[in-house]
Amino acid sequence: MNKRVKRWAPIVALTAFLAGPSPAADTLAKDLTSTIALLGLPCGQVVSAKRLGENDYLATCSNKMRYRVFVNAQGRVVAQRQ
Amino acid sequence: MTGCVAPREPPKDAALPGGTVAVEPPPAAKRKQTAAVKPEVRQEQPPVSGSAGQGRTATEAPAARTEAPVPATEAPTHKATEATPKTEAPAARTDAPAPKIVSPPVKTAARAPAAPPPAAKVTRIESAAPAPVKPPALDLAALEKRLKETSAIGVFTKLTLKNQVDDLLNRFRAYYGGRAKTTLAELRQPYDLLILKVLALLQDGDPSLARAVANSREAMWGILADPAKFKAL
Repeated sequence: MNKRVKRWAPIVALTAFLAGPSPAADTLAKDLTSTIALLGLPCGQVVSAKRLGENDYLATCSNKMRYRVFVNAQGRVVAQRQ
Repeated sequence: MTGCVAPREPPKDAALPGGTVAVEPPPAAKRKQTAAVKPEVRQEQPPVSGSAGQGRTATEAPAARTEAPVPATEAPTHKATEATPKTEAPAARTDAPAPKIVSPPVKTAARAPAAPPPAAKVTRIESAAPAPVKPPALDLAALEKRLKETSAIGVFTKLTLKNQVDDLLNRFRAYYGGRAKTTLAELRQPYDLLILKVLALLQDGDPSLARAVANSREAMWGILADPAKFKAL
């Protein structure tokens, strides 16, 4: 049993790694990418996003830049460079 | 009538420089050839018109005739060159003896009405093509609803777009309120930019909505550019 786990663990980990982001994460990344682009900020593509709160995300771009994208009290979408 | 009398004088003058008189076929054959030979005659003509002294009387006569021969050249060549026929006309006169020349103008006069119709047809076809394009009726409410419900744009993006639309509307309000020094032409640029952004976002995920937005682009601008319609928004 122990040997089987040791055999399959790397395969499962590799598959999960190569599978890429989930559809929801992909949709969020696209949304943040277009948002940052609409705001005229350099980014390329958002490669990962971390949820900080409701309507509040930390986006990491393909150009290594990171933005905090959130909706402020006035209802405006803001992207703050981190 | 003036065109008939004039040709008789030039042949004498033209026969000397052109030297083409010897080549001319008999009267009956020449009538047929005059139209076809004209291209060759072009080169001969310049010296004739350029001839000194008597050239004045000769050139005056061609001027009157040139109007008639024009269609004759257009008919065979299908409006190839409108300018060249003028030069061809005098050449035909110079080469041909007086009695022969009289007949070609008559033929050309008969052909003249036939040539113009093709040009008129072309213009009709061109004007008919753009006519069917009609701007569709603008339904802003439906368009707004579709934009809100489309899945091609994410929530953050929709909110960002809405903010930018509101910003633009505020600029229009400032313009109509006299608070901004911008002109309507200057406001057209951000409007176009915003529309392009929307189209770029929609074109892959929701092509039909992108088309609807693109088609109502001018209608929306019509509302924005009209103070009365803008107030009614």
